[in-house]
Amino acid sequence: MEQVNSKPQKGFSRRKFLARSGATIAGSIALLYFGRSKIRTGLSQLAADAKFDAGIDDFDPTVWFEVNQDNTITLRSPKIEMGQGVFTGFAILAAEELDVDVTKIKVVHASTSMGPQSTAGTGMSNSTSSLYTAIREVAATLRETLKLAASKSWGIRVTSIQTGDGVATSGSRSMRYAEIAKQTKIWEIAETPALRQAYSFRMIGKEHKRIDLEEKISGKPIYGIDTDISGMLYGAVLYCPYFGGELKTADTTLAGKSTDVIKIIQDKNWIGVVAKTRFAAEKAMTSLKVSWNFEPGYTTKDAIDAITVGNGVAVVMQDEGNATDELSRNVLTSEYRTPIGFHASMEPSIVVADVSGTSLKLYTSTQNVAFMRQSIADQTDFKEENIQIIPAFLGGGFGRRGYKHNAVEAIKLSESVGKPVHLLYTRQQEFQNGYVRPNTHHILSGKVDTKGKILAIQHEFATGSMAFLALPMAKPIIGADFLVAGHGARIAYSVPNKRTKIWNSDLPFQTGLWRGVGMFANTFAIECFIDELAVEAKADPLQFRIDHCGTTELLQRRKKLLLKLGEKAGWKAPKADTIGRGIAVCEDRGTISAAIVEVQIVDKRIKVLRVAQAIDAGLIVNPNGVRQQMEGATMMAISASLYEEATIENSQFEQTNFHNYQVAMLKDTPHIETILQESTDMPSGVGEPPLSSVAPAIANALYNLTSFRLRTLPLQAALDNYYQHSE
Amino acid sequence: MKINLTINGVDSTFEADPDMPLLWLIRDEAKLKGTKFGCGMALCGACSAHVDGELVRTCSYSAQMAHGKKITTIEGLSGGANRLHPIQQAWLDVGVPQCGYCQSGFMMAAAHLLEENSNPTEDDLKNSITNICRCGTHPRILKAILLAAKLQSNGTSK
Repeated sequence: MEQVNSKPQKGFSRRKFLARSGATIAGSIALLYFGRSKIRTGLSQLAADAKFDAGIDDFDPTVWFEVNQDNTITLRSPKIEMGQGVFTGFAILAAEELDVDVTKIKVVHASTSMGPQSTAGTGMSNSTSSLYTAIREVAATLRETLKLAASKSWGIRVTSIQTGDGVATSGSRSMRYAEIAKQTKIWEIAETPALRQAYSFRMIGKEHKRIDLEEKISGKPIYGIDTDISGMLYGAVLYCPYFGGELKTADTTLAGKSTDVIKIIQDKNWIGVVAKTRFAAEKAMTSLKVSWNFEPGYTTKDAIDAITVGNGVAVVMQDEGNATDELSRNVLTSEYRTPIGFHASMEPSIVVADVSGTSLKLYTSTQNVAFMRQSIADQTDFKEENIQIIPAFLGGGFGRRGYKHNAVEAIKLSESVGKPVHLLYTRQQEFQNGYVRPNTHHILSGKVDTKGKILAIQHEFATGSMAFLALPMAKPIIGADFLVAGHGARIAYSVPNKRTKIWNSDLPFQTGLWRGVGMFANTFAIECFIDELAVEAKADPLQFRIDHCGTTELLQRRKKLLLKLGEKAGWKAPKADTIGRGIAVCEDRGTISAAIVEVQIVDKRIKVLRVAQAIDAGLIVNPNGVRQQMEGATMMAISASLYEEATIENSQFEQTNFHNYQVAMLKDTPHIETILQESTDMPSGVGEPPLSSVAPAIANALYNLTSFRLRTLPLQAALDNYYQHSE
Repeated sequence: MKINLTINGVDSTFEADPDMPLLWLIRDEAKLKGTKFGCGMALCGACSAHVDGELVRTCSYSAQMAHGKKITTIEGLSGGANRLHPIQQAWLDVGVPQCGYCQSGFMMAAAHLLEENSNPTEDDLKNSITNICRCGTHPRILKAILLAAKLQSNGTSK
């Protein structure tokens, strides 16, 4: 589309949008340059409360949308569809303001050469919330722009034109959007109108099926791995499986013998093969004879010792009242641990690199297009403007596709043969050469007064970092990763004296984002300990939590959600003695999520029978989508709570594939109920919050069943260990 | 060696290493991308297809073993364009997929299960399908297979 008015319109989205979005992560990092310990404490609170923006500053409707000749409208999404359903949510938002059916909106990924760009990537459960207003404003502007064009064509006033079902009408005249687009050569972008009021929503808040079902049930080639371009060859790269290792010697003779092998190249830390087929490339890779320089002997125990309260850089994240004095004697103290975890996305990391002279095209599965482009420009000779990234649907994200892609290797392989190269991680590489969720250690201390109220509580925890792999510049400034690994570590309940302190240590392997980030481990420790305090107070665990919800808006919402969940899920209903029942709740960037779980132990195996999940995520755009995220988060949480654990032997992760990294399967599926509560007039995230309350709810249910407490994840291994020592 | 296959009813001949996994033949030579790579060790089921009516994890099944056989992939499951297998219909009705990557494999496993057991219980499904999904679509998968069994017995699809 050509257009006459390319300047942002007066009152147009950008200004309003930015004003609403609060502190940005960039802003927080900039502030951190003034960091001192007190300020760090304040900043950690600021970061916890911040609403992160979408990282987009282009609100021209012609950049976002295209009106097609079949009267469908293409929306170019700056956020990646990784299964969380954002394309469907975006289609609903656009359809609401464009006056078309949701199925008429075709959502595709923006590439670096077409569509709005997001510098923030896709994650933090904020795609829908950060674009809730923006997409509607841009869509409404497009609708008014179409009306303006129709009014000129008809020579009538724009105010006499109505829109509905993809058609502009005025009296007896009507024109489909497609016809307006076809006959309009120069667009005059209309002023952004007022948005539709919530009471008149026709699409938002209604049940919608996902818009990507057809492709996904028929095997359409929509993922990065499915990229297949003319002349493409296949790459395989051998990486060092040991932490921090470097290539010592390499003998490529045998690997080079196959006639299907075209090239073998050697880099500082890897050897790459290009071949005519994937099979030939991988066969050659496995026949490379190499030795590595590395520091041997590192084990799981070393990682546990390193990540122990008292080690590393400490930052006090919360200090209200005087917890230290109150907790000087007669205190209940408990320790919790969580293990290293893999993302184990079903689609391994994949990049197809197509180098042509000084320009580069990358077809890939990534959660962060802008970051990837910039990091490639930093690591290679390609200028950022010459790098084109075409993102695909992701076969799972969970934080793994934020960074550490294998693009640089793919680029070098493509350069070496002058052809496009398809480079895929093996499952073993995905486990051993990616990055992981760091292990954690938590010491909680607390005291209950004679009235059964918590007088003081302290949470000290140790963790590897999640933020510094992507933001190394932040490390010397903020010291400890309270931003991401510390997410969810503060005590939210209304308690007069409370204190939270993070201890952050380096690990010899890379650690990073994992669905829910710090929330997963921190909620496990805190919500189990709250249960322990409830036992001290001889109180019902649900009522005890409600009794510590103060007067803030978030705590009031928490109270309301807990009451609703308790009632709907039958917290007080009678149950068999063979069943344990537990509860937990968390708050994650404005969303409250709570779960009641029922468990059984059958032949020493933990069986989760039932999970009732309740969520208050503000305004709900698509209840079906929210429920799907709640179900999915429940299953992933059951998997991580019961089974998942990466271990280390001789400076290498021991797990090589799914046979030694157990994940939840169909047999682990409990009966899941989902309870939605609407509160505010803005949506908040749903992808991560429902994950974090499940692990502590299971552990609390197990305590309810057995009267002994498991304080280490994964719980099945903890239970096995308990039986071993009690026999 | 020359590998002759009938893939989704189409006879094809490929020149391939006899040890090459059938998965790569399907994906990279026949260019049918619905069958997915997940683990390479027959552990996750993302690569499931039907070989002479048997459920096979094609990442661990060689080209020479497949020689002369009839292969059905997700693209051919319904037996024709513009048609849906009851499993696909049920998957649509229930709205199963999230990222969708493992779904072809699950659908191929589920379709095969219904061939052998047209009226399964939920426990039958839990005990016999061992594919892996990381998004957590499990509850909807169970629901969809039970629905597909109904659709199939009512003859309301296909």
